[in-house]
Amino acid sequence: MADKITVGYTHLSGCTGCTVALADNYGGLLTLLDKYVDLKYMPTLADARHIQKVDVSFVEGSVCINDKLAVEEIKETREKSAVVVALGGCACYGNITRFGRGGQQNQPQHEAYLPIGDLIKVDVYIPGCAPTPQMIRNVAVMAYLLLKGTKEQKDLATKFLTPLMKATETTSACFCDLMVKVINQSLCMGCGSCAAACPVNAITMEYGKPQGERDLCIKCGACYNQCPRAWYSFDVVDNYEAINEAIMAALQ
Amino acid sequence: MSKVVEISPTTRHEGHSKLVLKVNDAGIIEKGNWCSITPVRGVEKLAVGKTPEQVPKIASRVCGICPIAHNLAGTEAMEASIKCEIPNDAKLLRHILQLANRAHSIALHNILLLPDYYIPGTETKINPFTPEEPVRSVAKRIQRIREIGQTIGQIAAGDCIHPRNTRVGGMYRNVSEQAKTKMYDLAKEGLTLAHQQAEFMIAVIRNYHNRDFVDVGGMKVPMPKTLGYHNQGYLATHAFYGSSSLDECPSWDIRRFKEARPYDWYMGEMEVTLEEPKYPIGGTTKLGTKTNPQMEACTGIPMYDGQPVEVGPRARLVTYKNYDEKGTAGQNIARQMEYQDCFYEMIDCLDELNPNGKVVADYIPDGDGSLGWASNEAPRGTDVHIARVKDWKVQYYSMLVPTTWNFATCSAALTGAPWQLAEVIMRGYDPCVSCATHMIVVDEENRLVAQKLIQ
Amino acid sequence: MGAELGKYKSCVSARTTDKEILKFSQDGGIVTSLFGFALDTGIIDGAIVAANKEFYEKNPSKCILDNSNFEMIEPWRPIPAVVNTKAELLAAAGTKYNISPNVALLKEATRAFGLDKIGIVGTPCQMQAVRKAQLYPIGFRDVGASIALAVGIFCMENFPYQGILQLVEDHAAMKLDAVKKMEIGKGKFWVYGKRGQVVSLPLKVTHKYEQPGCHVCLDYVANLGDISTGSVGSPDGWSTVFVRSKIGDSVWAKAMAAGVFETQPIEKVKPGLELVTKLANEKITKNKKTLEGRATFGVGKALRNPYI
Repeated sequence: MADKITVGYTHLSGCTGCTVALADNYGGLLTLLDKYVDLKYMPTLADARHIQKVDVSFVEGSVCINDKLAVEEIKETREKSAVVVALGGCACYGNITRFGRGGQQNQPQHEAYLPIGDLIKVDVYIPGCAPTPQMIRNVAVMAYLLLKGTKEQKDLATKFLTPLMKATETTSACFCDLMVKVINQSLCMGCGSCAAACPVNAITMEYGKPQGERDLCIKCGACYNQCPRAWYSFDVVDNYEAINEAIMAALQ
Repeated sequence: MSKVVEISPTTRHEGHSKLVLKVNDAGIIEKGNWCSITPVRGVEKLAVGKTPEQVPKIASRVCGICPIAHNLAGTEAMEASIKCEIPNDAKLLRHILQLANRAHSIALHNILLLPDYYIPGTETKINPFTPEEPVRSVAKRIQRIREIGQTIGQIAAGDCIHPRNTRVGGMYRNVSEQAKTKMYDLAKEGLTLAHQQAEFMIAVIRNYHNRDFVDVGGMKVPMPKTLGYHNQGYLATHAFYGSSSLDECPSWDIRRFKEARPYDWYMGEMEVTLEEPKYPIGGTTKLGTKTNPQMEACTGIPMYDGQPVEVGPRARLVTYKNYDEKGTAGQNIARQMEYQDCFYEMIDCLDELNPNGKVVADYIPDGDGSLGWASNEAPRGTDVHIARVKDWKVQYYSMLVPTTWNFATCSAALTGAPWQLAEVIMRGYDPCVSCATHMIVVDEENRLVAQKLIQ
Repeated sequence: MGAELGKYKSCVSARTTDKEILKFSQDGGIVTSLFGFALDTGIIDGAIVAANKEFYEKNPSKCILDNSNFEMIEPWRPIPAVVNTKAELLAAAGTKYNISPNVALLKEATRAFGLDKIGIVGTPCQMQAVRKAQLYPIGFRDVGASIALAVGIFCMENFPYQGILQLVEDHAAMKLDAVKKMEIGKGKFWVYGKRGQVVSLPLKVTHKYEQPGCHVCLDYVANLGDISTGSVGSPDGWSTVFVRSKIGDSVWAKAMAAGVFETQPIEKVKPGLELVTKLANEKITKNKKTLEGRATFGVGKALRNPYI
């Protein structure tokens, strides 16, 4: 695997927390850039000012549909990228921007924010607010294997990424997903993953089942996606040891 | 004859902004406008009607580099409004979190700044991601400082990047003895690295500003000794933490604060008449493009005593230590000088921290609508949040964010500089533009409104 | 070995050599001894276990912070907690047949608790949650690499707290407060009183009280633990142990070398692996039927299937 994949990073209405999460791979970020990633466009970190044609674009943040530039940028990102990854809660599900309703100076007309999946077809989700460095690392390595690996590696990467690809079918998230899609479907077994995953401590476990403080929930989608009874692939998770080792080895 | 050149978007900082510059024939800026073009998510407006617990968690998401500043200022504004004092151990955890975040933020800003600078003694500009030495060792040290900051922050705050452990009334959990030991170990390592990194950065910054000429996209640009000078003055509310309306002697005066819309301070509609395709990378805005800072700017203009001021590391050093170095060089050096105290002060806080102490106030009132404010000295400067809470609902919320204070100040500092160095001046402010785009603007009757706020 | 027992490197019947632990343990004292040994030797610096009301009263800051945990905690309701010493492990020892959301503390373990090497015990579904969190750490930043020992326990199904309460207080006519130990084995649900009485209920009676979420689980012997253990297959007072992963192998070898366990080959004991296999197949077959049933649960409408 000598050659790199070209990567772009489009920053829309996000807080740059996703960028920081990427940078929080620490030495791993340097290795990713050394070995696997040719970063073509990322104005936060480097001077390229215009969206480039790339293999993979990460998009952070939701789209303000009242801002012409933002709408142009998401469309241009889709046109110029073979793979688009929605990075973080805002891009996947809207997250806190779901609460935006305009009325603020100097642009009171900026009132409507949509996750990018409502404007373009998205290939992969990395949910979370902030998404974790390890999740970004794992998806980056798998994306690399999918594009540049051997047949076996491509198969593994496809299996790994499949749930994150299927997740793109939904563009909104909330604690309520746990009620509607897990508890109400008689699937919850009380492991507590959701409570741990929640970035705002909105979920407690009461008598073994999740209680969500809906007035605290920021609608990031972490709890539902973390839940083993939301989606679970035996093929992938049964091989956790080998996959973990492969990812570690890739970052040596 | 003046020409107009526009750099859009600007790079190597957080968020989206642009520079609209009126320059003379020699390319020197006569008047510059630096303004945000980040869409306004409207956090202040969306806060109305929400709980005081949820709003600071949303406010945290205004920025991913300094979420701590917004989360703490927001939480403390709520606590100020409901008049809730938090236990000392909760204060200490918040201080530790603040300092840890600052260390990581200074280091991150180092990465963003370095590509402007030269390896001392050479004509090679620094690429922070190159695998070659001596830069690779510096990059690793930067990332290690960041790892230390983020890890300590994560222990105190329950999660990175956005704090999870903070709550109105204190913190959800205290840390264990084991966690305290871990933070000590990391802080000691961080202190050594902070010394090394500060020394390295100051040498590189001085080297750059002592040059007669610097290279920008193949253009040889003269380096003025007074790059980034302004005389707008400084605002700071604490050496590293902040203040609030609950303090006996608050260090911020709401009555000296006014806001204006960009209409007062920014230029109106213009056409780009100077284009430079060599400007790295991708060139400046095309000839003939219409630009209108007054209308396009996404923030308001906060003022202290009727003028924009500078907030940030230099403002803190000036206010509390009579620091006297001006310009972009002075700013960036002041920032490096804040490295060490991130860890010295943190170690002091750890010394005082009692892992068995309570961290939630015994009684958390629902609020009666009183005005409360809290300031947090974010890495980039003074961040003031103002709130009114009644019956556990937020009635009013306002954020006066560091980079918002700095937009007009930096604009003033652009005058007299070669336009190709405008971004260098801007980066001295360590801009956080998504943050900045959250200011509520008070109207012309601001005096009355300010008084209403204070009631 | 068929797939019903998961992948494993070795399997033995084992019992702790620590007499004190045997006094408090459910069977062979495997989990308590493993974590005790791992804590002593620095393999882990803390373990997430299902503690109880007494532990919570003494150490509230080590437990989960939930609204149902206040002064009126019920007897035998498990409360996830982080333990750091053998004394704390003993205080938390013993199987509680109801839901203990141990994974809820997995992130906090590296945060306020400051752990770098976490031990965690859990049911098969909780092991699944742990491994999913390592591969897809959506909400688990900087946790995956810190999981130093995950011990899975065999599980046919779990019960909500109310289920156990009704089984003990209605069917077995005992107060929960008076119960010393509960056990499922030999086709019965056993309740041992503190004053020596023993009541057994036919397992048939317990079925109504099972947690419905368990009925789609296809894992009986915690396929994804580093080490998995349970009473089934081994004689009384002993436990069946599967050593599964590289971590599990390393820890088990060290523990054996230090004389923590005495073992017998699983082939030599009764009822042996045949029973484990039989029960595993029963669970998997039964629950596969439930899964299939979900696909045609309504009229032209299916219930959701979480498995991809």
